[in-house]
Amino acid sequence: MIDPRESVIVKRLASVDRVVGFFSAKGGVGKTMTTALAGCALAARGKRVGILDLDMQGASMHIVLGAPHGLPAEDKGILPVRVAADLTLMSAALFSGERAMALRGEEISHAMRELLAVTQWGRLDYLLFDMPPGIGEEVLDCALLVPRIEAVMVSTPSVLSLSVVERLIGVLAETHIAIPGMIATMTRGDAQAVRTFARKVGVAFCGEIPFESNLEKAIGFPDRLVASDSARALLSALGTMGMSGGTT
Amino acid sequence: MPLIASTAILRCMHEWALAEAVIEAARAAMGARPPSCLRSVTVTMGELQAIDQEIFEFALSTMLQETALSAARFVLQTELAEFQCRACARSWGLHDATGITDETREAIHFLPEAAHAFVRCPACGSPDYMVSKGRGVSIKSIDVADTASCV
Repeated sequence: MIDPRESVIVKRLASVDRVVGFFSAKGGVGKTMTTALAGCALAARGKRVGILDLDMQGASMHIVLGAPHGLPAEDKGILPVRVAADLTLMSAALFSGERAMALRGEEISHAMRELLAVTQWGRLDYLLFDMPPGIGEEVLDCALLVPRIEAVMVSTPSVLSLSVVERLIGVLAETHIAIPGMIATMTRGDAQAVRTFARKVGVAFCGEIPFESNLEKAIGFPDRLVASDSARALLSALGTMGMSGGTT
Repeated sequence: MPLIASTAILRCMHEWALAEAVIEAARAAMGARPPSCLRSVTVTMGELQAIDQEIFEFALSTMLQETALSAARFVLQTELAEFQCRACARSWGLHDATGITDETREAIHFLPEAAHAFVRCPACGSPDYMVSKGRGVSIKSIDVADTASCV
């Protein structure tokens, strides 16, 4: 048996300038929020942005972005849903709703390949991947199926997060995934730990997103996410990686 | 429905994306061999994904004409879906699956793994099962002529 989907994925992404994933092998460090903030902030500055939620078992990007309910439309494939003027989203949750999908490894890989093969993103400046925690199917399939993906590392200053990120960086190097930089999240004046770690592992430290207690209230509202202090801090960090949103 | 409208609908269905994948895979499988050597491609369509065969064939034939593989023939076969519970080893088919409504059937059509959100083992209720057969679209075989006979 030949899986035909693999043959068309590169073609689907041909009109995307940069594919950037937000990676961190540890859960709860802010990958989803960082991805959402990046998407909203870049789109608000005139960039065409798509977000693919690859956290099949814990998809939540549709909640963060306040995605409309209902199945996506078709046009020689499946169209990502529009959540803001220049921001679209594709997620397994658009099909499963709020019901749990208990998936094992091969099934996760199937779902990822399906979404990559049938989603018609159109012309994009950035396609952002919200990666799940762990170093499993999604990471390895990115290396296999989307070889030009760039992996932005996301970590809190906690040694628990940094130690797992170090292992992930090793796998990314072995699978030839480029790492444009690292961002410290939920900092409380302790970003130096991430800066020191980045220097040790040879990854560019690009900035920090200080902990923002009111950010929870912006969930579901892309315009509020754009207006947050976190979005401003993230834009500065993204700028050091050549991901510029220009000016509003 | 007017012919023009129905053709327009046919042309936007998501089956096109999968048909395009099949053609790209066939093209890749040919490698450096002359495209005219491709005789046939046998495609398995899993019952779970419920691909519309008429639309799929229309998409394949339309896109094929735009390639150098236009002499090829596509053979479509349907494979019945089979689920197997990892908890109690029960096997069952789509006709025995509960939890599938018109809306969930459409979701599964787009993303077969969405079945795991709606279908449970009919014997023990477990969500831990595999789709052992009939998931989606795959290529069963590609028949290529000898280069000497087709150039």
